[in-house]
Amino acid sequence: MRIMLVCSAGMSTSMLVTKMQKAAAERGFSAEIFAMAEADAKSQKNIDVVLLGPQVRFLLAQLKGIFEPQGTPIEVIDSINYGTMNGNAVLDQAIKLKK
Amino acid sequence: MNGFMNFMETKFVPVAARIGAQRHLVAIRDSFAAIMALLIAGSMAVLINNLQITADGATDPYQVMMKNIFGEGFKAFGGNIWWGTFAVMSIFIAFLVAYNLAKSYDAPPLQAGALSLAVYFLFIPQAITADGSGLLNDFIAKVAPGTAIPADFATGVGAWGNVNWGFLNSSNLFAALIIAIVVAELYRLLLKSKYLVIKMPEQVPPAVAKSFTALLPSMIILALASWTQMFIFSDTGLFGTNVFAVITKFVSAPIANVGQSFGAALFLPLFAQVLWFFGIHGSNIIDPVMQAVFVPAVDANAAALAAGLPATNIVTKSFFDAFVNMGGSGATIALIAAILVASKRKDYRMTAGMSVAPGLFNINESVTYGLPIVLNPLMFIPFILVPLVLTTVAYLATYIGLVPETSVIIPWVTPPVLSGFLATGGSIMGAALSALNFGIAFVIYLPFVIAANKGIERQ
Repeated sequence: MRIMLVCSAGMSTSMLVTKMQKAAAERGFSAEIFAMAEADAKSQKNIDVVLLGPQVRFLLAQLKGIFEPQGTPIEVIDSINYGTMNGNAVLDQAIKLKK
Repeated sequence: MNGFMNFMETKFVPVAARIGAQRHLVAIRDSFAAIMALLIAGSMAVLINNLQITADGATDPYQVMMKNIFGEGFKAFGGNIWWGTFAVMSIFIAFLVAYNLAKSYDAPPLQAGALSLAVYFLFIPQAITADGSGLLNDFIAKVAPGTAIPADFATGVGAWGNVNWGFLNSSNLFAALIIAIVVAELYRLLLKSKYLVIKMPEQVPPAVAKSFTALLPSMIILALASWTQMFIFSDTGLFGTNVFAVITKFVSAPIANVGQSFGAALFLPLFAQVLWFFGIHGSNIIDPVMQAVFVPAVDANAAALAAGLPATNIVTKSFFDAFVNMGGSGATIALIAAILVASKRKDYRMTAGMSVAPGLFNINESVTYGLPIVLNPLMFIPFILVPLVLTTVAYLATYIGLVPETSVIIPWVTPPVLSGFLATGGSIMGAALSALNFGIAFVIYLPFVIAANKGIERQ
């Protein structure tokens, strides 16, 4: 499963990515999780789930227009889970979104 | 308070969000993001050349050391890098903005970028005369007053076919932006026009028909640009001078003037900060302004210093990066310190603990969302107040000459204090101002951290 996290420069989401990768490894869940800057995110292909940092939630409509036609679900990350860098909970959000 | 919060959440935030997703602004932001590495490298190259620890360049220990190690010509190294980046910055922007804007419309981006570049060069006056009259002098008087024309300049200079770098550097950024946006808009509109589609017989491969269709809009735009140049922006045209001088006079100069005012210096961080309080990436939203107005301000300072003139721009992108947004928007590195010193709350201490490392590189989402600051009435006052006070202190310190103007573009992830040192071209006073501002922010945050302790005791 390929999960892409998007924020302004891909910096703070990359912190969360590390936490999510750890959570996935603990569960033995195979996933490719990565963070992208807003500018580069739009051209990414073959992604299963897109998660948006809450600070760039205003991009949701625009990115929806790009990813939903490809069948890729997209959602804003819960801001409490984002702030506490709760990798487990955000991984759950991604898995639930894919279903 | 509730009514105010409600108003902001339902009225102000959506408007700001729309600005943040506005396609022209996004195209500008993405374009600057694409050349950020070049600008930082170019800026560092200028720093390597011009760093001075003492006032006298001839006896300065750093300058003498560099000459001893690398020879008299050591500045060629940094000069080359500057020449390839800052000296021709507007070319990149002319291409990239048209590219990104066309892409957002699903029009062919590379063609739009190339076309914009063509139009940009089309407008550059080709004649340069060094005899005290003509376009070069005209340009120097308007754009870079005080620049001397080298004595051997006339050698090899003809009446046409010359491109002066003064038309390519950051002082023409607005010309590049305007040309790129107009060209990309015209291009995508003409491409959609059904009158311009060339119909081919069925036997002709579709790709051939497509290549003809792409031809007409480009030709039309180039023709329009050429007429505009002939009748409006030439010596005999409506304005009597080139488009770059006109845009400098009527657009860039007034905007740069407003940008240097104390009011603008306060407004920008305030605007970004209020958005952050509502959990929206404020810095991202003001970024197009930061890049288009306050990056050239750094370049103008660097150019003035290199020419032996005083720098004049107090408010620059580096000014905000080094003195205001320490540890992220709201100088939250000071809040982290205040929590580690005075907070009795476990949740606060935990959030602060895990936010130290990213905070050193000015990344603070774990504080803004984790503490949280977002929509937390207690933190509203210091979070808004801190950047305003820090901006004021830094503005005054620069204004009275205690701290040199910022003249180096630094990566926004440069750690606090080091950022103040680098941004001011290696001034200890710059580092000291960063440190002072950290202390001020700490003092402002401290009582609110202590007040948060009481909240938990009552519960």
